[in-house]
Amino acid sequence: MTALTTERAPSVSSDDPRLKDRSTARTYLALVVLLAVAAVLPFVLDEQTETVAVRTLIFAIMAVGWNLMSGYGGMFSFGHAAFFGIGAYTDAYLLVEHGISPWIAMVVGASISAAAGTLIAFLCLRYRLAGAYFALATFAFAQVFLLVVQNLDFLRRTEGFNVPLLTENSWWMLQFEQGSHFYYWIPLAILGAGLLGTVAYVNSRSGQYVQAVRDDEVAAASLGINVMRVRLVAVAISCAFTSLAGAFYTQYYFFVGPEQAFGSAVSVNAIVPAVIGGIGTVFGPVVGAMVVGPLSEWIATVLREPPPFLEFLQGVTGLDVAVYAALLILIVLFMPKGIYGTLRDRFRS
Amino acid sequence: MKKVSLAAMLAAGTVALAACGSGSSGSGSDGDIMIGSVHPLTGALAGVGALMNDGAKLAVEDVNADGGIESLDGRKLTLGEGDSKGAADTGQSEAQRLISDGAVALVGTYQSDVTANVSAVAERSRVPLVIDVAVDDSILEQGYKNTFRIQPDATSMGADGADDLIALAEANGKPVETVSYIHIEGAFGQSVFDAFKEQAESQGVQVLKEVTYPGTNFTDATTQVREAAAGNPDVIVATGYYPDQLLVAQAVKALDPDIDALYGVANGAFDDGSFPNDAGAAGENVLSANYHYGATNDEVADIRKRFEAEFGRPMETASVLSYQAVMVIAQALEEAGSDDPEDVRDAIAEIEVEDPLLAFDGPITFDETGQNENATVIVMQTKKGKVEQVFPDEFTTSEPVYPAK
Amino acid sequence: MTDTTTSPPETQPDDGKTRSGRPSLPLLPLGIVGAVVVALLLVYTVGGKDSGLVTQSIVTGLLLGGVYALVSVGLTLIFGVLGIVNFAQGAMLTLAMYLVYQMVDAGGIPVYVATLLAIPVMFLFGVLVQAALLNKLTMADNEEGPLLVTLGLSLLIVNVLLMIFGGRPKRVPSSVEGSFEVLDAIVSWERLIAFAGALLVAGALTLILRGTSFGLSIRAVSANTQGASLVGIDVRRIYAMTFGIGSACVAVAGGLMVPFLSLTPTVGEQFTILAFVIVVLGGLGSVKGAVVGGLVIGLVQTVGALYLPGTGSLILVFAVFVLVLFFRPQGIFGVKQ
Repeated sequence: MTALTTERAPSVSSDDPRLKDRSTARTYLALVVLLAVAAVLPFVLDEQTETVAVRTLIFAIMAVGWNLMSGYGGMFSFGHAAFFGIGAYTDAYLLVEHGISPWIAMVVGASISAAAGTLIAFLCLRYRLAGAYFALATFAFAQVFLLVVQNLDFLRRTEGFNVPLLTENSWWMLQFEQGSHFYYWIPLAILGAGLLGTVAYVNSRSGQYVQAVRDDEVAAASLGINVMRVRLVAVAISCAFTSLAGAFYTQYYFFVGPEQAFGSAVSVNAIVPAVIGGIGTVFGPVVGAMVVGPLSEWIATVLREPPPFLEFLQGVTGLDVAVYAALLILIVLFMPKGIYGTLRDRFRS
Repeated sequence: MKKVSLAAMLAAGTVALAACGSGSSGSGSDGDIMIGSVHPLTGALAGVGALMNDGAKLAVEDVNADGGIESLDGRKLTLGEGDSKGAADTGQSEAQRLISDGAVALVGTYQSDVTANVSAVAERSRVPLVIDVAVDDSILEQGYKNTFRIQPDATSMGADGADDLIALAEANGKPVETVSYIHIEGAFGQSVFDAFKEQAESQGVQVLKEVTYPGTNFTDATTQVREAAAGNPDVIVATGYYPDQLLVAQAVKALDPDIDALYGVANGAFDDGSFPNDAGAAGENVLSANYHYGATNDEVADIRKRFEAEFGRPMETASVLSYQAVMVIAQALEEAGSDDPEDVRDAIAEIEVEDPLLAFDGPITFDETGQNENATVIVMQTKKGKVEQVFPDEFTTSEPVYPAK
Repeated sequence: MTDTTTSPPETQPDDGKTRSGRPSLPLLPLGIVGAVVVALLLVYTVGGKDSGLVTQSIVTGLLLGGVYALVSVGLTLIFGVLGIVNFAQGAMLTLAMYLVYQMVDAGGIPVYVATLLAIPVMFLFGVLVQAALLNKLTMADNEEGPLLVTLGLSLLIVNVLLMIFGGRPKRVPSSVEGSFEVLDAIVSWERLIAFAGALLVAGALTLILRGTSFGLSIRAVSANTQGASLVGIDVRRIYAMTFGIGSACVAVAGGLMVPFLSLTPTVGEQFTILAFVIVVLGGLGSVKGAVVGGLVIGLVQTVGALYLPGTGSLILVFAVFVLVLFFRPQGIFGVKQ
């Protein structure tokens, strides 16, 4: 299907501008179908499964955000907790202390997050950190954020924020009765916007440039691309989008503390779905989230009433995370392009 | 076209995965009444989480063996086991799962942050949550109507800890005039310390130094203890969790400052069953003001014996609290004569549980915030490799050694 | 997928000598040591703290630094030679600790003997991990792959340990309890033994790297993988052995730390990120750097805690890390390319 020859060698992808019209249209179509199917799911899911679906959507939003910077932009972030946390804490702080609507807090949080991310990335790129060093630096920044929040009185140190409960549904305050489908549709809409935005961005001039820089920085620079600028644009979008996941997290879970927002496990949660699904692809992070999100729930369900041959595992703690870890290792080893990336290549050939 | 078919596959996958999760639900239509338990069964706190889950399990078995809930025609209880993994969001979705499976009440959760989440779920679902362990004051400051706590909160433990220390020292003819305080950073350590300080100073005891340490990357307490000992206090007081406070006890032993006692308040180590063995000589005579199971209570002794026989591990205080929490719910069910969560909630709010399994000042009754009014701490001391209750008199299993050198 | 355009500064695990054989200028290391000494003197004279307390914090910091160095010397090899960001270093440390615990608890073997026995086991474990899981990715110059695999490995080890041992803290009975006093500061014997162990391991590693043909091969592979492979060195084998050695170092670290730490499946995690800070600070692949870096970070943490209690001193540690990354990514003993 993508048998057209191209001059730019390394990655012939559907993102190639000359294939843009047909391929992009197909991607948009696929996205719309996917979102439409996902949108009717609440009518067939029970309440418990819906909470798993919401968590999966939060994973997916983070992973889509991470993928913009690290997949398309080639800057491996190990500190996306910083941006998730900024979103979560901006929402919590503005809502709890000042009664400001979460919608406004999302915009504010996204702006702060984009600014912080751009500054961090600028420093890292300015000092020519790449690969593992870039990852370690972003990790360090996220840790510093965690430690600083734990020491700030106005962010309530380690105590965290409780979102005040309302007696009735409120769109403006983004609060609905427990089990309301809006808690599913809102993150789905955010995710849908993010996915459509991803397609638009990677096909835009800036998005094309950042991929060119990722594939060969020297060549891209010699063609007159402003390397720093296109990279920072990718970072800013990525961080702003990731912060939305944080803001929704606060609204959905009604409580956020330093570990929930800035802990290193959060950074891992942003990376793992993208890696399992396929880095640098539109659908990869979503596929990955659909595996990772329900996985531990599914294992827990199996172990609650295990089939006879698994009975010895009942009551054993830690199995679900162990399976998740083994899966991560196997996918990195045997499907380096992730589930979606590998399947896509197989369909193509 | 292939792209579209792939998308269709994705969609199919979503449905399939969703279907995986949906098989498990459905409430106890066989007549059993479900109580949901949410504890960290995996993660760093899995050890104590499993003990607490087992404590709740034993309570359910005991209620059933005793004929179930009589006012509901002897209906049996069943325990829905939830694993918070030590993470707040997982704790919340587990609580939601248990409630949608038909739980009439919840017990949990050991950690303050997870409890904050679960109590919001309980409030929104109008299902009562009885907290067995979770210490932060802020949990009950949200104005929730469905959250109750059996253990004393951080502030009351700090204040009662100060009272007990002063009274204990006075009774042994060696009054306390100055103390230094070592505590872990964060809301828990800070609120215990603040309350201790206020109470101690109101009784003329001076707090010379406040030394804090971080909850992570803390592997040596020598400097902190030395700093605390610098002003020659009569007593060093310490608040924190198990591994870090074990280090504190060892550092006190190594530095051997001239103090009357090392005194824990809401200390996760000093009255733990494994402390005497793990600390060795450093543990000897260490004092600890904490909530504790009533070691002088025969019923508790019987429960703990059966627990150890059934689960092969000693039943720690946290586990007794989980047992107690289930018993509070069972009594509420009995009194309400209904398995409607809102009726159970009302019954808990009015409840009076005589002879609590914990060494408390009186029966378990909840004030309007949901706090157990008679929850308090008692003083324990490690003597000859055993944790003994030494103060106040009505709970003593052994005489205190004070000064505790 | 995420090709990087600038690679991290390459270094070789050969202290002091650059590729051309010219000794690197010892000015910076001396400067760092000097700066630390001056800072400590300042703390003494105008720090406003009791001098006994300062001495104690310095002694504690150095001993703690020894522990950090023990964990870091293994990592500096793995990171320096293989370029692998080994996020499982802390989990491997925990694994070694449980191994020693099991031998002591079930087998009744004295703890320091058990440590010696754990070394070959952990070496084999490391060789297997590299050969089975990482070699393919390392050979393909994939940077993020190994990071993710070791991240998964770390989760796997921690949770398998949890499945086997449960989460209650465990403890090995101490064999050389007690402490002694130096200059008004308390030194515990067990921690001093760990400190001595760190120096011993560092010395042994330096000898292996400098004095054996095997060490030469490691240095050759680190300096120029293709070249080494052309002259007949089995690069995969060297990679596996290097990871094995890095893992064996962790066995020593675990065994020596077991006597004074409570054992939980997550106990090693806290060392992972500090070890990275130390390795980058000391210079990739530099054993000497790992020791000096460990001591510096140990001091920053304990002496810093006198002024910034609690997590404040950790912020200081990360600040040092970020500054080093920006301004001297090759670290104290590293060589600028």
